[in-house]
Amino acid sequence: MTRFMLLHDLRLALRSMRHTPVLTALTAGAIACGIAAAMIALTLYHARSGNPIWWKSDQLFAVTLDNRGPPGPQDQFQRHPEYPPFLVTYRDAKALSQSNIPTRSVMMYRSVGIIEPGKPGLKPFSASIRMTTADFFQMFDVPFLFGSGWTRSADDGPDPVIVLGRQLNDKLFAGANSVGKLVTLHGRQFRVVGVIDNWMPVPKFYDLPLNSFGVPEDLYMPFGWTTALQMPNAGIVSCVTPTAKVGSFNELLTQDCVWLEYWVEMPRVAQRQRFQTFVDNYVRDQKQYGRFVRPLNNRIVNVSTWLAMNDVIGEESRLQVALAGLFLAVCILNTLGLMLAKFLSGAPVTGLRRALGASRRDIVRQHLTEVVVVGIFGGLCGLLLSSLGLWAIRTLTYNSAFDNSAERLALAQALSHMDVTMLLLAALVSVVAGVLAGIYPAWRIGRMQPALFLKSQ
Amino acid sequence: MIELQDVGKAYRTDLVETHALRGVTLHLEPGEFVAITGPSGSGKTTLLNVLGLLEEASSGRYLLDGEDVSGLKDDRCSRIRNEKLGFVFQSFNLIPDFDIYDNVEVPLNYRGMPRAERHRRITAALERVGLGSRMKHVPAQLSGGQQQRVAIARALAGDPRVILADEPTGNLDTEMSGQIMDLLEEINAAGTTIVMVTHNPDLARRARRHIEITDGRVSERRRTGPQEPLAAAAPTAV
Repeated sequence: MTRFMLLHDLRLALRSMRHTPVLTALTAGAIACGIAAAMIALTLYHARSGNPIWWKSDQLFAVTLDNRGPPGPQDQFQRHPEYPPFLVTYRDAKALSQSNIPTRSVMMYRSVGIIEPGKPGLKPFSASIRMTTADFFQMFDVPFLFGSGWTRSADDGPDPVIVLGRQLNDKLFAGANSVGKLVTLHGRQFRVVGVIDNWMPVPKFYDLPLNSFGVPEDLYMPFGWTTALQMPNAGIVSCVTPTAKVGSFNELLTQDCVWLEYWVEMPRVAQRQRFQTFVDNYVRDQKQYGRFVRPLNNRIVNVSTWLAMNDVIGEESRLQVALAGLFLAVCILNTLGLMLAKFLSGAPVTGLRRALGASRRDIVRQHLTEVVVVGIFGGLCGLLLSSLGLWAIRTLTYNSAFDNSAERLALAQALSHMDVTMLLLAALVSVVAGVLAGIYPAWRIGRMQPALFLKSQ
Repeated sequence: MIELQDVGKAYRTDLVETHALRGVTLHLEPGEFVAITGPSGSGKTTLLNVLGLLEEASSGRYLLDGEDVSGLKDDRCSRIRNEKLGFVFQSFNLIPDFDIYDNVEVPLNYRGMPRAERHRRITAALERVGLGSRMKHVPAQLSGGQQQRVAIARALAGDPRVILADEPTGNLDTEMSGQIMDLLEEINAAGTTIVMVTHNPDLARRARRHIEITDGRVSERRRTGPQEPLAAAAPTAV
């Protein structure tokens, strides 16, 4: 098709749309509603389904061991009884950390503590803490605004060092470089060694069992302080054998109760095979002591598999997308009906064009062009509606009267933000919707016999 | 230049088969002015549609400028209609929301003609029919006779070999009918073949050749040579 014919078809399309403004508005409106519903559902799905560390997804692995008691009726209450527990016990984590096969490894959990700012006008307040070993920052490519994480030897000390999140640094030090400054936490002074820059992995892949879509912790502390200060667990504790119980901090460290997340970094394939063997051998060894009574079911899974195992995208999200798609289909059918009525009402003029030299192909192309233009126009309106819808969802669902911190707002934005991929998808869906809605009406009007309409116009 | 050899056209439904044309054999020379008359339902318009490649004959052969156009694909038929044929209809068939410039331009757009060439032809055609000063008028602003002249200009703009006119004066009064017939005679005198369907015997007499069609069969009523004067109507003011 020549450029001339394309411009000609475009001119005819715009002319036809101006000639029937109400019908054009109705058609574009129908497409806009369908596009809006589809794009809202897809945007929310897309935001949740991403892999926030995709560049290292095949190098990072979550380690899970099946230390559950014998199979029994309790299994039926688990969503995925075939999977081992997603957390590990303290003693298993300690044992795993003895292996030098992975390049890096981290054991961690979520805690909470009281910060005493020591500043006039700022009362002591509660802060969320990620208790972690030193490799956390390099493993997960955490960006630093100032300073860096602590060393492995600081874990052993444990050294009284912490890393602050940006928001906490803003609160305590007005955003200045606080490396070297002291923070009183749990009645003890800790030296700031680093401040993390804006960092919001969505989903929070390293903390899925607890909180798939949460904000990062306020600060980070060496794991060694867990026992030194008996730092409380603000996450999940699950005793997986019939006899295990947690009545004291010491039992938390010794019982078959899972509460720690364990991750390793293994860039090379050979490492993974060797580490799998190490883990399996460890479990076999523990069986001698009456632990790990089930068959071997140790899973060392990469990030993508981890996200799937945790059902980050639940069935309800998929259902929402399916329903939105169905709604779009209904809107397209609606548009198809409107365009068919419009094209057939213009049959006399179309018959005339055929008599004057337009081929069927010309007629079909001309009418398809009109529907695609309407589709694009409807798509633009749909994008506006989508933005409105996402703003409403953000405001009603994610924003909290109790926590309108910058990080929470940033998370709400991340979960309901239409990025470039979604904008391009919206454009594509608009064009495809136009084509689907117009292909039958255009074909139908192209098939009609021109002689039928010429005498009776 | 136009030759129909034993052409038939039948319309078939589940219950009925209607023969609109039966064994039509016709030979038209370049530059002829042919009038086709016949009672209602005799097949006049069907004959014109077959000649204009708007309908395909059910049987027989149709040769246009030596090319067998029977059974051609739609693209080729459309091209022939655009380049060799011009149409004038009883109800003018102008596009109401286009001005007359745009109306005349319609067939030229499908030829992919450059803008300058299109403008030249449109202007020349409208000047020829006496409407050069009304290019920006829409059809509703013109009289019936003027609208038909626009339709003739549209047919002429593509420089066709044949103009097919289906009751061109059917919606016009006597005075305007005369004007249109004068115009068609002028066009024919310049070398364009005209095939005109009409109910009006007076108008039929103005053509050089008169063919009658009854129940789908044609018969020659009258044929005058190219040198013989046409039967003249009463002179009318333009």
